[in-house]
Amino acid sequence: MIDFSRVQKELVECRKDAAGSGIQVSPKSDNLVNLIGTIPGPTGTPYEGGVFQIEITIPDGYPFEPPKMKFTTKVWHPNISSQSGAICLDILKDQWSPALTLKTALLSVQALLSAPQPDDPQDAVVAQQYLKDYQTFVNTARYWTESFAKTSSRGVEDKVQKFVEMGFPEAQVRSILEAVGGDENLALERLL
Amino acid sequence: MEDYGSSDDDYRYSDQEESDCELYENNDQNFELLSSTAQVITEESLLAAQKEDLRRVMDMLSVRQHHARTLLIYHRWDVDHLFEVYVEKGKAYMFSQAGVSVDEYRDSNSLVSASVMCEICMDDIPSDEATRVDCGHCFCNSCWTQHFIVKINEGQSKRIRCMAHKCNSICDEAVVRTLLGRKHPDMAEKYERFLLESYIEDNKRVKWCPSTPHCGNAIRVEGDKLCEVECSCGDQFCFNCLSEAHSPCSCLMWELWEKKCRDESETVNWITVHTKTCPKCHKPVEKNGGCNLVSCICGQAFCWLCGGATGREHTWSSIAGHSCGRYKEQEKTAERAKRDLYRYMHYHNRYKAHTDSFKLESKLKDSIRGRISISEETKSSELSDYSWVHNGLSRLFRSRRVLSYSYAFAFYMFGDELFKEEMSEAEREIKQNLFEDQQQQFESNVEKLSKMLEEPFDTFEYDKVMEIRMQIIDLTTLIDGLCKKMYECIENDLLGSINLGTIHSIAPYRSKGIEKASELQVCWSNKANNTGKSTINSIAPYIDCSTSVVIAVTQHIFYDHVGFLIYKLICLVNIVVC
Repeated sequence: MIDFSRVQKELVECRKDAAGSGIQVSPKSDNLVNLIGTIPGPTGTPYEGGVFQIEITIPDGYPFEPPKMKFTTKVWHPNISSQSGAICLDILKDQWSPALTLKTALLSVQALLSAPQPDDPQDAVVAQQYLKDYQTFVNTARYWTESFAKTSSRGVEDKVQKFVEMGFPEAQVRSILEAVGGDENLALERLL
Repeated sequence: MEDYGSSDDDYRYSDQEESDCELYENNDQNFELLSSTAQVITEESLLAAQKEDLRRVMDMLSVRQHHARTLLIYHRWDVDHLFEVYVEKGKAYMFSQAGVSVDEYRDSNSLVSASVMCEICMDDIPSDEATRVDCGHCFCNSCWTQHFIVKINEGQSKRIRCMAHKCNSICDEAVVRTLLGRKHPDMAEKYERFLLESYIEDNKRVKWCPSTPHCGNAIRVEGDKLCEVECSCGDQFCFNCLSEAHSPCSCLMWELWEKKCRDESETVNWITVHTKTCPKCHKPVEKNGGCNLVSCICGQAFCWLCGGATGREHTWSSIAGHSCGRYKEQEKTAERAKRDLYRYMHYHNRYKAHTDSFKLESKLKDSIRGRISISEETKSSELSDYSWVHNGLSRLFRSRRVLSYSYAFAFYMFGDELFKEEMSEAEREIKQNLFEDQQQQFESNVEKLSKMLEEPFDTFEYDKVMEIRMQIIDLTTLIDGLCKKMYECIENDLLGSINLGTIHSIAPYRSKGIEKASELQVCWSNKANNTGKSTINSIAPYIDCSTSVVIAVTQHIFYDHVGFLIYKLICLVNIVVC
């Protein structure tokens, strides 16, 4: 029952202006049921510079039922589960309309990154932090972007390696680096 | 008590109760103004019932039927509420809120090209295979059909929205019907059924009859929704909570009581109060006499006071090598549980006694029928009327029910569970005495009636029968009065003084018993014509107006708030005229 011709057309459409929007959708394997979407982190947010991967599953009823989407890249965001990557977004649920496409849905997800809605949280811990200690939230989100959403997260690993060689326990190093948003000097101060 | 004595009027009234329905209904208006009227909606009359409300809205707002339906579904079939929104917030607001688009896009879009691009399947399709809905959005027929199927399967038949993003408009039922009808008649049927049943599911005034197996009927009440009704299938129930008719208990009390009776918690309570667990085999042991050294059937001896294992050496006053005089907090809770249990048992036993009597007396009906037929054969024409037996019997049945529920009521009214904070101890005691006096008086007369009805009157002489007849008639009237008084006491003196909103309101007393819902008139317009005649006469200027004129007039009036009442009057006429 899946309308593959529409999915196919959407993929072509997406490829055409991938350069403009930065949004890409491509098949995960040889079928059109499981897709991978990629969105760049919006500029001016802690997600800037990151590239986020989203796993898309096309349900039988598509486009009359919403596609299922979840982040496979770890994200620190009030409306995205830091554990599972599940997204809390109305258009992926009851507000879905068949007139929306994968690209518009991904654009909405991107918009969600720039405008979190902590009052309707998916991840309560993140939402609490966002509301009570915004600066730490920004630092953590940036650190997560640095660590997980950059094509190479070598940088972080290098820093960890360096501190471990200096004789600090690895777990402590990681948590402090996370807390200070990856700043080596701040981390060193705390470690000492 | 003499007040309820044998005045002839009273007798006549109760005598007519079951024999003359027509006359009775007229009486009813005088006697029980508060009562609501209930109607049975069967599968057949459902359509007619729905049309009645649709027509009102269509006429008042001059909209098409599917728009009227969308509005009514949104407002849960509350026509008056819908009109209030109309008057207060205006037509545009009301329409957009409910998702009704009345702009005619079809006409304005006359320059239709040969093909259109459907934004859903992203195909170019010939324009005659696409459909434009009221809001102006146009998609291809196969996409529409898919959309409808998905929505109906999701259970959203009643509010299928347009496919366009952020479009709140509800799809035209005719479009849904036509498109589905072509290839998916089963879905079309489902859709149709959901629309029809919305009148029951979404309507505050209508509820399915709770009978099992389900009789297929629904009941609609006018006026107070807190009432007890009897469906045409014979099932009697409380319209408010859909459980069995339970007044003078409030719905909440009844729910708690039923649960309490069903629950094993009381059994558990009994076990805690009366037994102790054996320290060896851990079975509960009940003490059946003797001193405090108890021995379980497993052979273990233990102390009844503390439950600890002991030896068997003992005297009357002590167990060798064992002492347990220290106070323990647990004992206190056991005392409390014991008191609660006795209290519950008191009320439950009486509740049960009356329910059981009710069951036994149901057999009485048959034996009385037998006695009547014997009497009719043996005692010629001088005693042809036996309605006094029937009336007495139905009064007895009704009273038994009321009595049994009154004990459940008392359990909660004077217990700690619901009203502990609402009354002081002294207040409670006064109220309890007041209620119990009434209840007792009522109860003793019910027992008297029960005894009287058991008399084998078919074997008696004429004079003796007449005497019994008179007594039964008197008692019947007396009991009716007492029961009414008890309800009044509950409503005014007991529940009335407690300020907890309406959760503890009870269904009002009806001396003729639970109201039987009447069949809904299918040709409703005729009925309205008959009953509405006086209304027509009272606002003469509108009689001769055609329907459309009436609408025009009302739309003028709508703009000021004062007009609301006038419009309501016209509204009444309107139905009558068409």
